[in-house]
Amino acid sequence: MKILICLKQVPDSTVRVKVAPGGKDIVTEGMTWAISPYDEYAIELALEVKDGDPTTTVSVVSVGPARARDALRQALAMGCDDASLVVGEASGLGLSRALAKVVMEAKPDVVLCGKQASDDDQGFIGPALAEALSWPHVPFVTKLAGASGAVEAWRETEGGHEVWKASAPVVLTVQKSAKEPRYPSLPGIMKAKKKEIPEREIVSLNVDTSGQTLEIASLEPPPVRGGGKMLKDGDMAAIAADLVRLLREEAKVL
Amino acid sequence: MKTLIVAERKDGKLRRVTLELAAWAAGKGEVEVVELTGERFSPGAAAQALAARAEGAQLVLAGATAFGRDTGARLAAKLGRAYISEAMALDVADAVTAQRSAYAGKVRATVRAPLPAVVSVRPNTFPLPAGAKEPSVTAIAVGAEPGLTFERFEAIPDSGTGRVSLAEARVIVSAGRGLKAPENWKLVEELADVLGAATAASRAVTDAGWRPNEEQVGQTGKTVAPDLYIALGISGAIQHLAGMTSSKVIVAVNRDPDADIFKVCDYGIVGDLFEFVPRFTEAVKTVKAQG
Ligand SMILES: Cc1cc2nc3c(=O)[nH]c(=O)nc-3n(C[C@H](O)[C@H](O)[C@H](O)COP(=O)(O)OP(=O)(O)OC[C@H]3O[C@@H](n4cnc5c(N)ncnc54)[C@H](O)[C@@H]3O)c2cc1C
Ligand SMILES: Nc1ncnc2c1ncn2[C@@H]1O[C@H](COP(=O)(O)O)[C@@H](O)[C@H]1O
Repeated sequence: MKILICLKQVPDSTVRVKVAPGGKDIVTEGMTWAISPYDEYAIELALEVKDGDPTTTVSVVSVGPARARDALRQALAMGCDDASLVVGEASGLGLSRALAKVVMEAKPDVVLCGKQASDDDQGFIGPALAEALSWPHVPFVTKLAGASGAVEAWRETEGGHEVWKASAPVVLTVQKSAKEPRYPSLPGIMKAKKKEIPEREIVSLNVDTSGQTLEIASLEPPPVRGGGKMLKDGDMAAIAADLVRLLREEAKVL
Repeated sequence: MKTLIVAERKDGKLRRVTLELAAWAAGKGEVEVVELTGERFSPGAAAQALAARAEGAQLVLAGATAFGRDTGARLAAKLGRAYISEAMALDVADAVTAQRSAYAGKVRATVRAPLPAVVSVRPNTFPLPAGAKEPSVTAIAVGAEPGLTFERFEAIPDSGTGRVSLAEARVIVSAGRGLKAPENWKLVEELADVLGAATAASRAVTDAGWRPNEEQVGQTGKTVAPDLYIALGISGAIQHLAGMTSSKVIVAVNRDPDADIFKVCDYGIVGDLFEFVPRFTEAVKTVKAQG
């Protein structure tokens, strides 16, 4: 099976994000970047297929600035076979069409995207890429198995999983699964260092940029919380009764 | 202006979020509420079925549920429209302006899209006036999508589906590693039952396999904004906070007075959850019995 993963580099989940003066962007100076968490789950999902069937190839592609190379290198160190970078900025429909061009060249059986990227938190690109390709997509996939000429994808829904069979090609958006993404191994890191990561400019893809786009009007820190009341008068029974009273009379949520 | 609302139903009844959307849209011009029917259809097929109706609407709204977010995205792409995911506030004039969270909840963004547009809206964003009447709903049948077949459903045993869904719950009882062991989950369930609440968990709990993934709240789980979120034995890691700090009222119970969860709570109790929870459950039961 041939798998292609669309990967985005985002601020590492452990860092605090600050809004830059002007309120249109975040402060990127000194930022620690990482593979977007759901894309990491996608890598794990693909590598598990490869573990079971070594003829499987796993490629990664990212659209972004030069620093996105680090995320691709990390994916290679985890065990992906090859990586490529499309240098440039794109979002929304334009980005989905740029990725569609890359997919059409690579001709994979399965394309994996994260359920959403942890910067814009949109969850648009996976479905939009499928639409640009006129392929079906299965959302919120936590498990993937290859069968002869087809794949089985487990879609998380309320109360369980729907198992869908796709006679390839198909786009899957990946949800967190029980299996944690693997760490790069030392030999993996050495091997990844030697690999070439070809790059090209996004303009060379001649992407159709028609259609509507979203504009960011402003970014702000989320409303501050705090100044909460600590309840400590009396024993636990008294505190419990006090909390019930406050939730009813003060907060009015009971 | 015409608004098209993509309805969702659970256990035969329209979901609350659908009613919230309909209540908001009423009085803002023409409104059509449609519902997709069919057995286990794919998002591509859903978008295909909706496309013709959506074509004539300035604004397409869906709930920001798993279904609504994904279908909305595919539909917007099909129509070449901008898509706003998980709006927390919405304003429509010549364009649609929405507030949403970004950077895994660490930033609040105001975004603007030209009309026509597709928006998924978080449950609990719009008030539902008492006695709001059910909108009339048009059914649209969804067919199969070439290349994709539904094979079977694998149920998760012991999932919280008997309860209200997590995304839409007004009250959520959530527990973390402080619960110590899966058999203690019944404490959480008993409290959730008297409150009519949904249950949720931190990632420490889902990773340990005590609870299914679908109950995880946080950066790699669900984002929730109930009226009341009760965090039991949860430390308040930044990735957990990402999923719940938009809740209206937060109660935290933790035996560590320095736990980060106390920095975001409205009411905090420093103490042992095993002592607190049964007493709180009793106290809630008592007042509920009094009406
Ligand atoms: C990329 C990434 C994504 C992540 N996504 C998520 C996510 O979506 N959701 C999420 O929750 N986490 C997420 N995490 C994990 C997160 O960093 C924390 O590890 C996790 O939230 C900790 O869970 P916890 O609070 O239950 O456990 P702990 O941090 O171990 O806290 C347990 C708490 O229980 C208290 N306690 C213990 N015993 C008692 C008692 N008897 N009574 C009262 N209190 C008690 C302790 O004082 C402690 O504060 C993510 C991490 C990464 C790196
Ligand atoms: N710049 C990008 N390059 C490659 N893949 C991307 C990019 N942006 C988004 N994606 C993919 O689309 C998914 C959803 O992103 P989003 O729609 O931005 O939430 C991500 O998890 C990635 O798999």
